[in-house]
Amino acid sequence: MSRLKLSGLSKRYGGFLAVDGIDLELQNGEFVSLLGPSGCGKTTTLRMIAGFVDPSLGTIEMDGQVLSSPAGSVPPDRRQMSMIFQSYAIWPNMTVEQNVAFGLELRRIPNAEVKRRVGEMLEVVHMSHLADRYPAELSGGQQQRVALARSIVIRPSVLLLDEPLSNLDATLREEMRFEIRRLHDEFRVTTVYVTHDQAEAMVTSDRIAVMNHGRIEQVDHPRALYNKPKTRFVAGFIGRTNFIEGTSNGHEISFDGFALPRSAFERDVPSQGTVVFSVRPHSMRLSDVPPTVRDGCSSVGVTVVERAFLGEHWDYVVKPREGALTLKVTTSPLDDFPIGATAWLEFEPRQMASIA
Amino acid sequence: MFPVRRRNFILGSSALLAFGTGPKVLAQPAASMTPHEKELYDAAKKEGGELTWYTAHSDDITAQALGRSFESIYPGIKVNVLRTTAQVAYQRITQEIKASAVQCDVFSSTDLGHSVELKAKGAFEKYIPENASKVLDIYKGYDPAGYYFVTSAGMIGIGYNTAKVKQADAPKNWTDLLDPRWNNDIALGHPGFSGYVGTWALTLRNQYGWQFFEKLAKNNPRVGRSINDTVTMLNAGESAIAGCGPVGTLLESVQKGNPLAMVYPTDGTVLIIAPSSIMKGSKHLNAARLFMEFLMSAGASQIWVDHFNESIRPEILASKDAKSAKDLKIIRPTVAEITKGIPEVIKQWRETFGV
Amino acid sequence: MTDNSLDVRALQFSGVISRLRRLDASMLLWLALIALLAFLVLNPVLRLIISSLQEIDSGRFTLANYRVAYGNVRHLQSLTNSLELGVGVALLATCFGVPIAWAISRTDMPGKAFVRLMVFAAFVTPPYLGAIGWILLAGPNSGWLNKVWMALTGAGHGIFNVYSMTGLILVIAVTSFPYTFVFTSSALDLVSSEMEDAANILGARTLRTTLRITLPLVTPAIIGGVIISFLEAIALFGAPALIALPARFNVVSTQLWQFFEYPVRVEEAAAYAMPLLAITVLMFWLQRSLLGRKGYTSVTGKGGERRMIALGAWRWVMLGYALFVCALSVFLPMLVLLQAAFAKAWGRGFSIDNLTFHNFYYLLVEQTQAKQTILNTFVYSGVTAFAAISLSLAIAYVVSRKLVPWSNVLAFLCVAPFVVPGIVLAIGFYAAYAPPPLALYGTATILILGFTTRFLPIAYTSSAAGLRSINPEMEEAVRILGGSRLLAIRKVLIPLLKKSLAGAWILVFIPATRELSSAIFLVGPNTRVISVMLFDLSEEGNFEVLSALGVILLIATVAIAGIGSKIIGRDFMLRRN
Repeated sequence: MSRLKLSGLSKRYGGFLAVDGIDLELQNGEFVSLLGPSGCGKTTTLRMIAGFVDPSLGTIEMDGQVLSSPAGSVPPDRRQMSMIFQSYAIWPNMTVEQNVAFGLELRRIPNAEVKRRVGEMLEVVHMSHLADRYPAELSGGQQQRVALARSIVIRPSVLLLDEPLSNLDATLREEMRFEIRRLHDEFRVTTVYVTHDQAEAMVTSDRIAVMNHGRIEQVDHPRALYNKPKTRFVAGFIGRTNFIEGTSNGHEISFDGFALPRSAFERDVPSQGTVVFSVRPHSMRLSDVPPTVRDGCSSVGVTVVERAFLGEHWDYVVKPREGALTLKVTTSPLDDFPIGATAWLEFEPRQMASIA
Repeated sequence: MFPVRRRNFILGSSALLAFGTGPKVLAQPAASMTPHEKELYDAAKKEGGELTWYTAHSDDITAQALGRSFESIYPGIKVNVLRTTAQVAYQRITQEIKASAVQCDVFSSTDLGHSVELKAKGAFEKYIPENASKVLDIYKGYDPAGYYFVTSAGMIGIGYNTAKVKQADAPKNWTDLLDPRWNNDIALGHPGFSGYVGTWALTLRNQYGWQFFEKLAKNNPRVGRSINDTVTMLNAGESAIAGCGPVGTLLESVQKGNPLAMVYPTDGTVLIIAPSSIMKGSKHLNAARLFMEFLMSAGASQIWVDHFNESIRPEILASKDAKSAKDLKIIRPTVAEITKGIPEVIKQWRETFGV
Repeated sequence: MTDNSLDVRALQFSGVISRLRRLDASMLLWLALIALLAFLVLNPVLRLIISSLQEIDSGRFTLANYRVAYGNVRHLQSLTNSLELGVGVALLATCFGVPIAWAISRTDMPGKAFVRLMVFAAFVTPPYLGAIGWILLAGPNSGWLNKVWMALTGAGHGIFNVYSMTGLILVIAVTSFPYTFVFTSSALDLVSSEMEDAANILGARTLRTTLRITLPLVTPAIIGGVIISFLEAIALFGAPALIALPARFNVVSTQLWQFFEYPVRVEEAAAYAMPLLAITVLMFWLQRSLLGRKGYTSVTGKGGERRMIALGAWRWVMLGYALFVCALSVFLPMLVLLQAAFAKAWGRGFSIDNLTFHNFYYLLVEQTQAKQTILNTFVYSGVTAFAAISLSLAIAYVVSRKLVPWSNVLAFLCVAPFVVPGIVLAIGFYAAYAPPPLALYGTATILILGFTTRFLPIAYTSSAAGLRSINPEMEEAVRILGGSRLLAIRKVLIPLLKKSLAGAWILVFIPATRELSSAIFLVGPNTRVISVMLFDLSEEGNFEVLSALGVILLIATVAIAGIGSKIIGRDFMLRRN
């Protein structure tokens, strides 16, 4: 039985449909992200899971029991869940220790036990030496840890996180991503993580649900999402990509300025009609000599239109000699092609994903 | 603000509305001024046509009536009437003197002691009004030097609420107030505020000794500030007996329809003699002199009588519903007693009653 | 050798010259303001302290005043009475104000707009007018409530006695709870619902969350409200004069009044007033030390949405409580005041033949002073508000932009008058400015100056808050384009601050119209204000005219405030939407 199950979950505010028919199942101990741009409905979904918002349609079940439905919901204080808020919501008038102990004290756990568990938890998040501090005396990252400790110490059945890293600077964010994943692995809590940052989602999650306009476009493991995006939105949201449109005539797919044999493609590409492909910038190679014909690859001559050096790689914009198409290509920092130079662009159709 | 004639009309009609019966004297034609008054009047107009009067002699309504009457007799001179209790008026005047910024022109307190004290300090302007010789004998001759003159008088008796107390049961004499049956039912003023109450307390102390008040305190009276507070308490039904009931205010209240009645105690009704003076440093000396004449005129006495105060002129008689001082047994302290005694009484009162 | 030193000195000298030249004209303006502040605040308070140590008439140093002031048992009793009063009022006002503030700010209680309006009505009502209303309601034998009780139960006398310490506490608390309400609700408006959600999801339900999380988060505001109510209560003069005196006890303010009887003993009054000052300073120090290290505002910027808690059936209970408080503070007193205002003799009760317009007529037509008094009140209050706002805005600007060294001292001086009870401040002003050489006794000037100083703290707090919300970069943009600082203030700052300043104006105007304790010492015969006139009228027991005047005061104030807030476009009682 799945730990958490969302079935046909919808939320309507007046005329506006914020969440539109979400179906999602989480297994015990799984870490799933809800990823999407602002306004896609991810936070509303999270708040419905928490019980702060009632659904207009659909249900939320945990361990087979219905928690939320249009008819009524179990209130948040009785769901045995935990939540980390965007603002952390650490209570500034209590010390770190008091904050973390709050949930335990509510459960009438004896004082000695509370002290022990709080102490352990603070060790785990490396905050023991700051137990007596007040939140105003802590840095952003430290407050984040307090929030985590407070949520996890009560052993929730589900942990919810609402864009917890958006207030931190880049380095801290990287560090905390790993920290969150580490804590998840240590305690194996079923986790739902809401974010708009794809890097966060990729690093922390077992699976990612990409949301747009209230719907889930695709749920998959991070690699599958990246390599095999099913929709244009997912392809464009996760990593950078080129969209190219081709017409299939049975043998080959003709694009603007070049053509590729249909047999080279891995999956079944329709024999008729137009197909759109997502081509990742690093899935193509740029060389100054025509590449040897290899199995499954095709190449085309191009001119370099723009370029930018980013340290770890070169970003090139190239244009095939015929046609108006431009393509973004990423190469190693050593491949230096001046603007206006001619080169050969090699495609690897196996890495080209056809999208609806 | 209003043209004088219209004001007369409004005053007349509203007076009828508010006060019902009784003869009203509004305007004396200007032609009936004595030459002396005319002289003062012309000089007063040149001074600026204004007069400020601090008075504790009556309630606000009566004081206003006097002010309006003066204005109608002597058009062009505005009277600022400021009515307070005697001690408050005294406090304000002494503040002004200390600050060398005297705003008051005519000062009317109900505490003769104030007049004696202020005269000694040189705070008054000397002026002997023409009308000074025309008042009743008992009100003459308090200050031959001419710094203060009696311009009003009032009486204090015992009042009661007829809805709560039957005439037969009502106190007949001051000492009846000590009867425990009146526990929690008596209203008093405070000598620390009211000149009337101060004089009353002094008179009764002379009569019965201070033990009278110690026993009275045991009856748990309700202590207000002004002597008029006692009438308010009776009207409200809060108290049944006015231990020091001002005759003027009480009878006026009866006329308004309130269920009250007056008792003139057998040991004597307390007579309060209230003086007025012109302040030294007044910027409206002639207006002030004219006002002093007015206060001692028949016209003013008529107004007093209309509001159930005493008349100080022999030709103006009390109204038929009221008794006058000359018909009653009167008790009152001497001027010397007042000067020394009232501050003493205030102190003793505070010790005995706690406030 | 000599040449070098000459050069050095010449350099230094030219440095000074160039610095003097760079002195903006505005600098001189700031210095003038500081001098003004010293005149308004420092001098009266210092004069007061000095007076307390001076012998009457001779001015020699002496401690005799303190001996006279405190050698008397009754005087000491008055002091303890004041403390008792202050504590009682603070507690009761908190019990009234905090739950209502919580209900309005954080729950889905119905009728919020109405309750807010009633709280505002309570704020506008002067305590002494409320006292009159309660005398009419709860006088032990004659009060309406007691009459109803006696009629219902057949008892011989009533059960409510307004002439008692309890009565006085109630009367003052019902007009001061708007302070606790405003402080608490504006702080509560800032608390993000996530704070409550965090507790919620950990298992705490509404009541526990409120008591353990929400209210503790606004502790500074609640304590602020407690302190203000306490200070208000011990400094009031009117209500105690009306209720405590007949109840046969004194408080410090009524006791102080006695020092002003003849002969005027300012020195003894000053000595007697010192403990009030000391108590107030103590309060503020206590507040600081209680709050200490703990922070109270949310630490991060993001995520601050506020959602209403659904109370279910309990919202009717909360509304009931709010209406009960409103009944005590507004409905009941207003009802009896209106009855008296339109009555020929209020004791005769509600009957057709007892109705009349005469009281209003008397005030507006016959009584010579009333019109002038009413005009005076609103003119003086208006001028006070303008003066206080202008001065405090200027000072707040100097402080926030750190234009002079030790600018914090200025801020302290602006807020210091809070520490001085109104009646004490008036005595200080009287001692400092009434006699020659300034001889301001009885003038409108001394009254306005006194009021301005009294309300400077409110004005300053509002101005400073408003300024904080404006980014200094707005002015810097003007200056870098070549405009002077004064230009930047005129063209950028003031327009941006218009709404907030208008709100602050009303916040000063309203208390100024109802101020009695300081007015009573500073008015002269031509500068009487409504509060003093009401007090004088109460002395002769003319409740009918008094109520009519009170009604006029209330209607006019509400009208002005209503127009004002329409112009501002938001609730000046610091509500955030």
